[in-house]
Amino acid sequence: MNHCVRHLLRSAALALLFGFWAAAASARGDAKHGEYLVKAGGCVGCHTASEKDPPFAGGRALKTPFGTFFGPNITPHPQAGIGRWSEADFVRAMRHGRRPDGANYFPAFPYPSYTKISDSDLRDLWAYLRTLPPSSRLNQEHDLWFFVGWRFLVTVWKWFFFTPGPFTSIPSVSELVNRGAYLVHALGHCGECHTPRNFLGGPRRGRFLAGGKTPEGKRVPNLTPSRLKPWSDGELKEFLLSGVTPDGKAAAEIMDEVVRNTTSQLTPEDLSAIIVYLRALPPLPD
Amino acid sequence: MKKKLLYSSLALVLGVGAGYAVISIAQVKPETLVKQRQAVMTLQSKYFYGRLRAMARGRIPYDAKVAAQSAAFLDALSQMPWDGFNPSTANVKSAALPEIYKEPAKFKEAQDRLRGEIVNLVAAIKGGDKAAVKAQIGAVDKACDGCHERFADLQ
Repeated sequence: MNHCVRHLLRSAALALLFGFWAAAASARGDAKHGEYLVKAGGCVGCHTASEKDPPFAGGRALKTPFGTFFGPNITPHPQAGIGRWSEADFVRAMRHGRRPDGANYFPAFPYPSYTKISDSDLRDLWAYLRTLPPSSRLNQEHDLWFFVGWRFLVTVWKWFFFTPGPFTSIPSVSELVNRGAYLVHALGHCGECHTPRNFLGGPRRGRFLAGGKTPEGKRVPNLTPSRLKPWSDGELKEFLLSGVTPDGKAAAEIMDEVVRNTTSQLTPEDLSAIIVYLRALPPLPD
Repeated sequence: MKKKLLYSSLALVLGVGAGYAVISIAQVKPETLVKQRQAVMTLQSKYFYGRLRAMARGRIPYDAKVAAQSAAFLDALSQMPWDGFNPSTANVKSAALPEIYKEPAKFKEAQDRLRGEIVNLVAAIKGGDKAAVKAQIGAVDKACDGCHERFADLQ
């Protein structure tokens, strides 16, 4: 009897330990899945200066009507990168657009999209970023119009144009459409270029993915069915994998980069989900 | 005396030749010039994006014969579009940006860069080193992009 109780207690203790271990493991985040999510999020684009430079060590110039922003170093280097950050700092940056010291990020960092990333995906992203080789490459100051550089003004911008919080599925549509919506809205941040902006640089909500212009004045295509309807699913998939349109033309370099870094790296299921979601968008004229 | 005659007749022939070239372009309707240069661009796309770059990216299997043929086509095609960018076409609707006519020296530079990279690509394919061919396809791609970024509004 005594033996039996002891055995039971030992099993219970083991189970408890296993429970702790499992909880700790899930709280730690899955770096491998994080690597996939980093591709889906296209992080490397703005956070890498060029192909010859260390990836994620920052330096890429992003020209906007408000000045030029330089993507910072996000490797775990303690001084040059984000090596001293906690996971909570990372989550605050992505979900709320705030630096560890509480100041606002400029929305050139697409946190209005990244805020929609789920808690578990944020954990996995963080786990992967911790595995990057630290780079001592120093960050470059943004080169902005004088008053644009006042970070407190971003607070006002955020009142108008920023709604924090993870993506919530739409119950009336299929799981596949929801997956596509999540990839397009949250990680893919497609709307940052494909949705036109107003004079304050805020997205024009009624024109989601209806196309716009780059800061250089070049046209960015409409992704709603008004433009994509003539493309078959196969053609759309081929474009997202190879960067070649059905009429044999190539995507502009800015999109080809997205094809190389992101869309060609997605699983076939995720790629299909994106296409299904784009097909389900309300058609908007150019 | 004979020499002088030879030189002057040579000058006359060259002069008439150059004049003829200018006249022949001036006589073509701007819309036709645009169509012709677009046709060349379309074919360059076919052999570069559809074949060479698709091979470099692993979208289609690498085939040395197809690569050599495509590069040879490109070698010829990449000499063709430029005289179609005549100032007379500036008002015809196309993806060409006005910078082409505002910065002709820079536009010429971009053409020469492309030509140089394609000549190198033909050589790399002859050399037979697949890695070198892949790298050179990347260089051609950059030359295309470099020009498009400054001088075209592609969608």
